[in-house]
Amino acid sequence: MSKKYILGVFNDEATLVDAFEKIKAKGILPTEVYTPYPIHEILEGMGKKTRITHAAFFYGLFAAVGILSFLTYAAVIDWPLHYGGKPFNAFPSFIVVTIVATILSITLLTLFTFSARAKIFPGKKADIFHERATDDKFVIVLDPEKLGDNAKAVEEIIREHGEVE
Amino acid sequence: MEERVVLSKKFKLLTYVLIGIGVLSFALGFVFDAKRTWANYLLNNYYFVSLAVGAAFFGAIQYITQSGWSAMFKRVPEALASYFPYAAGFFVLMYFGMHSIYEWTHDEVVQHDHLLQFKSPYLNIPFFFIRVVVFFALWIVMSRLLRKLSLQEDEHGGMEYFKKSERYSKIFIFIIAFSFSLFGVDILMSLEPHWYSTLFAGKSFIAGLLHASSIMALIVILLSKQGYYKQLNGSHLHDFTRYIFMASIVWGYFNFAEFMLIWYGNIPEETVWFVKRWEGTYKILFFVNIILNWAVPFLVLMPRKSSRSKMIILPVVLLLIIGQYTELYYIIWPATVHEAKFGLLEIGTFLGYAGLFAWVVGTALTKASLVPKNHPYLQESIHHHF
Repeated sequence: MSKKYILGVFNDEATLVDAFEKIKAKGILPTEVYTPYPIHEILEGMGKKTRITHAAFFYGLFAAVGILSFLTYAAVIDWPLHYGGKPFNAFPSFIVVTIVATILSITLLTLFTFSARAKIFPGKKADIFHERATDDKFVIVLDPEKLGDNAKAVEEIIREHGEVE
Repeated sequence: MEERVVLSKKFKLLTYVLIGIGVLSFALGFVFDAKRTWANYLLNNYYFVSLAVGAAFFGAIQYITQSGWSAMFKRVPEALASYFPYAAGFFVLMYFGMHSIYEWTHDEVVQHDHLLQFKSPYLNIPFFFIRVVVFFALWIVMSRLLRKLSLQEDEHGGMEYFKKSERYSKIFIFIIAFSFSLFGVDILMSLEPHWYSTLFAGKSFIAGLLHASSIMALIVILLSKQGYYKQLNGSHLHDFTRYIFMASIVWGYFNFAEFMLIWYGNIPEETVWFVKRWEGTYKILFFVNIILNWAVPFLVLMPRKSSRSKMIILPVVLLLIIGQYTELYYIIWPATVHEAKFGLLEIGTFLGYAGLFAWVVGTALTKASLVPKNHPYLQESIHHHF
């Protein structure tokens, strides 16, 4: 990591949220916030909405249609076989396979999508901004280039309750 | 926080008119077509008691899970559960129509039927009514107990009442699960005593929860339109629709599993139930049932935005109200009336019951502060947000 960031480190939720709101009031959006657990104000304040649910829905739709058509093709069109007097198009029995395989497809495809978007892959070295961000500290990461003239003011806001590194 | 519902004169008048329509329909029905009227009587009795049971179950779950979001709305399930005594009266009066509805009550049929003889220690009129009375007694006692604790909590405050309610709720869910499963088998499945399905009880149970949660969402939305529940926000609505969503998936799963296994097993004793319901109008109802009770809530309530919007929840709830009717019609009519008749009699009797139910629930809502006063999770409920 060659780039330099300003870190604000806090001990509890209330002071973090307080500083976060004040920084936002100055018109600055932090690059990233690390917390031990999700906090509503931060989630909304960062303004990042996930679109992965939509992706998952369309994967599911695609998988369900695909698997149903494959089963129909295999059992009805390409190789019709008699099973205990059932019609070739044994639709109700296809549904079970479709449900199970659809769940598997959604899980795997969403996992791959998420990994690609978050730039995670097996064996990747983790970017750790602050050693205790994975422990019990609340960390705000700010890009000094975006701060401009406000750098001093932001440092003061953070210093009220936390520490700057 | 004292906030009491005041029933408007219009509302009261409307319920009286509806009850009047119901009484008139029943009176005319018994004169002209007694058998079909008894089927209507059974359907409506079951329809509304399933809502009350589902709501009582919902209320008990909220105590056990110590849910914060629902604390504000707990008077609604309590009000729905106050319908039990009326339902009990109606079910006991069904004594006079037993022969029109249940095949196993005819002695001459049982004498020539080995299976019915085998089942007669369980399926006979005295034991049937003993069960009905015991179930209703349990439901009334338990729901009254929880209601009493909830009102005492309003007066005195403190954690003691909540803890007691939680303990009783733990007993109550077992009672409901066990008794309502048997109840569904007694009332609906024994219409065709030669057929049996082990999933039937689970399906009717989850249908009760599904439609009770949709009715509760409806009542809350209607009250908020009247100016009550000012703190109602999207997160509360989202939680109500989660219950609808969840129950509709479970119902869809049960419904499909029951059908698919019977279809695949292809045993005549089991398939006969569906063969009857695979002809004419019933075949349409088979699909309408799945669309209304599963497909519509599942697809419409899936996006986050639509599950928080009153404008979308209301039509879904109205479709679910029709959905429960469709399902019961689909179960009851082929077994009792043997023809897919639907006319003014069905509409009139349903309206009558709906009016009575609305009157009972509305009156129960006026009897206590709409928002409970000293519930430990009240503040969490008011500021509920996710």
